[in-house]
Amino acid sequence: MLQKPWFKVFVWFMATFFFFLASGVVISIFRPGPSEAEAMQFMMSMMNAMDKSMMGVIMNIAHSTLMQSIISFVAIGTFPIIVVSVIAGVIIRIAQRRSGHA
Amino acid sequence: MKIRFDFVMHWIYAIAWALLGISGFAMVGAKYGWILNFNYAMADYIHRISAAAFVVITLVSIVYEVIKSIRRDDRYLSWHIIGRSGYQLFTFIVSLILIITGALIWICIEFNMTAIGFALWLHEYVSYLALASVIWHIYMKCHALIWPKKANTSKLSA
Repeated sequence: MLQKPWFKVFVWFMATFFFFLASGVVISIFRPGPSEAEAMQFMMSMMNAMDKSMMGVIMNIAHSTLMQSIISFVAIGTFPIIVVSVIAGVIIRIAQRRSGHA
Repeated sequence: MKIRFDFVMHWIYAIAWALLGISGFAMVGAKYGWILNFNYAMADYIHRISAAAFVVITLVSIVYEVIKSIRRDDRYLSWHIIGRSGYQLFTFIVSLILIITGALIWICIEFNMTAIGFALWLHEYVSYLALASVIWHIYMKCHALIWPKKANTSKLSA
């Protein structure tokens, strides 16, 4: 496997990746900064990540009456759909058994 | 063609480690943000998904090693990510530290800032050590980078 050219390319890619990653880390440690703009960009990016996390999604829903009404509507509709699908499944099984397909 | 279990695990582990490395170091601080163009949300997602894969791979490898030990199988698996000595033992210890501190960061974020601070500090510095060790590992195993020579068919037919 290790002698296959496509796998060699993969091994070279991984090795190069790690060398670039290590170089990036060394550059980050020893470079000057961060500048105010970079710090702001990083903070904004963190806020954005928080907004897209599970906690952020829940917080967004808590502030949106439209989303709350959609979720409550869907939740009300879910239980009857499950019951109807279970009944339909049982009916289909019984019908198949009667016709000898089961 | 027979593909060995330890060989497959080694390369899946390497891919998971690469993803964890690039996403993790991009989240260390504002000085490191440029690594992923300050896209913290993407780094966060990549880190969480790869961490799940990393934990599964490590646990499977530990279970495999334990079963091997119970069966008194002393065969040396050269590609296995964990082992009883050398770099395999180092990888085992480092992986466990990273998993435990990562879990602490994940679990304690709501209620224990002291634990979070300590776990983040340890997670970050062990990651530097682990990355340095990966570079050393690649250097030691650089013969794997040598391109395969073509079979000399003219010599064989002569």
